[in-house]
Amino acid sequence: MALLRTESLTKAFGALTAVNGVTLEVQAGTLHSIIGPNGAGKTTLFNLLTGQFPPTSGRIVFDGRDITGTPAHRIAHLGLARSFQRTNVFPALSILDNVWIAAFARGRSWRGLVWRRSDGYAEVTERARVALADVGLADKADQPAREISHGEQRQLELAIALAAAPRVLLLDEPAAGLSPDETQKMVALVRGLKGRYTIVLIEHKMDIIMGVSDRVSVMHFGSLIAEGTPAEIQRNPEVRRAYLGGMVAE
Amino acid sequence: MSRAWLAVLAAAVLLPMAVRHALATEIWIFAIFGLGLNLLLGYTGLLSFGQSTFFGAAAYVAGYLLKHYETNVFAALGVGIVVGAVSAALVGYLCVRRSGLYFIMLTFALNQMFYFIAYQWTTVTGGEDGMPGIGRPALLGVDFRNPLAYYVFVAALFLLSLWIMQRIVESPLGKILQAIRENDVRAEAVGYDVPRFKLLAFVIGGAFSGLAGVLYSMLFGIVPLEAIGFVFSGNVLFATLIGGSGSFYGPIIGSFVFIWLSESVSVVWERWPLLLGVAFVIVVLFFRGGCVEAWARFWSWRERRRALAGIAQ
Repeated sequence: MALLRTESLTKAFGALTAVNGVTLEVQAGTLHSIIGPNGAGKTTLFNLLTGQFPPTSGRIVFDGRDITGTPAHRIAHLGLARSFQRTNVFPALSILDNVWIAAFARGRSWRGLVWRRSDGYAEVTERARVALADVGLADKADQPAREISHGEQRQLELAIALAAAPRVLLLDEPAAGLSPDETQKMVALVRGLKGRYTIVLIEHKMDIIMGVSDRVSVMHFGSLIAEGTPAEIQRNPEVRRAYLGGMVAE
Repeated sequence: MSRAWLAVLAAAVLLPMAVRHALATEIWIFAIFGLGLNLLLGYTGLLSFGQSTFFGAAAYVAGYLLKHYETNVFAALGVGIVVGAVSAALVGYLCVRRSGLYFIMLTFALNQMFYFIAYQWTTVTGGEDGMPGIGRPALLGVDFRNPLAYYVFVAALFLLSLWIMQRIVESPLGKILQAIRENDVRAEAVGYDVPRFKLLAFVIGGAFSGLAGVLYSMLFGIVPLEAIGFVFSGNVLFATLIGGSGSFYGPIIGSFVFIWLSESVSVVWERWPLLLGVAFVIVVLFFRGGCVEAWARFWSWRERRRALAGIAQ
């Protein structure tokens, strides 16, 4: 059964229809990639899924429950966590606190919110440290987030999403702006998460997608134009014309 | 106990020996006011230009009770804290969904609204003449008309406030507010209802302002109209920025500098606010972190010089 599903999801900004009638099914436990050239509407789709803004029309169903129009802060509590394409961390806070904040949000209870010392939440701190270890930042826990490299900030970006103990992980171009070496590391990292989470991955670098994805959907001018296994997508003539052709021309 | 706490304790003991009791008392009252503001400014990143709304409202209500009913001191303080918190909830509710300049202007505009209510409602507030005749009822046989006794009372309440505020900023709430300051979009995305947390910061800050307002009215025996005016809102903002809004103890240092300057310099030079202006410009241009940052930079400069001298030898 599909864990996450959209039904003719549409978002229009004035005359521009950024997402146009997208119907998508993400099966539990899979890694589902959404590819498409820049401006295809991929990030807007994520913003709709995570409640950043409501869709113009259509529905979003998560685990059999209609979550259309649910505000962002409540979506997180349902178990949908996202990372951002442009690094979006808490710069002055320590690396550990960056992750701690996300872990606490999804903690079992907020008792003592105003009064208990935050280092007294052993379980939350433990979950935060596990998330840091997952992305390989455990030894930098006490450094402020603004002092680490761009590549490490991308790892932190991922750790914040992981710390929220998600059921579905929405990753928005985790390798954006990374060097080839760092990209390799990130791909290995994402591959390591496969199977533990249901993952929706946005990417426009083809080579990253093909090795790790179970399913691939192709977006073009706001609409889905194809869906299938990576091999099927590579053979699809329409995709080659709309997307790969465009890439080659670049 | 940390060194900062020892320093604060020492200051609380030594201050009344160095300056007039009333001045010493005013410094701690203003510091409580500043602590409340800094939860908004330093921790949540909200520049509220209307803190005197809560300070003044609490001072008027509690002052009225003290004047006409000679209420118990703790009851007056309790009422003041509640009035501060409730008025802050009201103002906060209208402001927290706005951001940037709109937020600042809205806190300012609502402050003006409260100011004009106090200005017009002369039968209760005394309008421009203020509300005089507020006493300091004795508590458990201690006569608070004695300036030193009142100082000790205020200093103790300040230390209590400081401890409570420290617990708050070291709690998860403290971290969440800082996360909101750093990046409210991400804070929302990881699962925090940002406007609601901002509102909570407002209410807590308002409660501290309310406490300060009541203590202020008892110190001077009057609630002047200025206590709810925008100059007062500006003063606490100035003091906190000069002390260092990025630091937990910044507002205390700011309160010292501000109250002491306004007291000692205003006697010899009536254009003393000019000096404040200069201090403010220096802070904005060179020391964003106020006195606290200036102090830290001075120390690291000295360390470096020592290290260099060591190498030269």
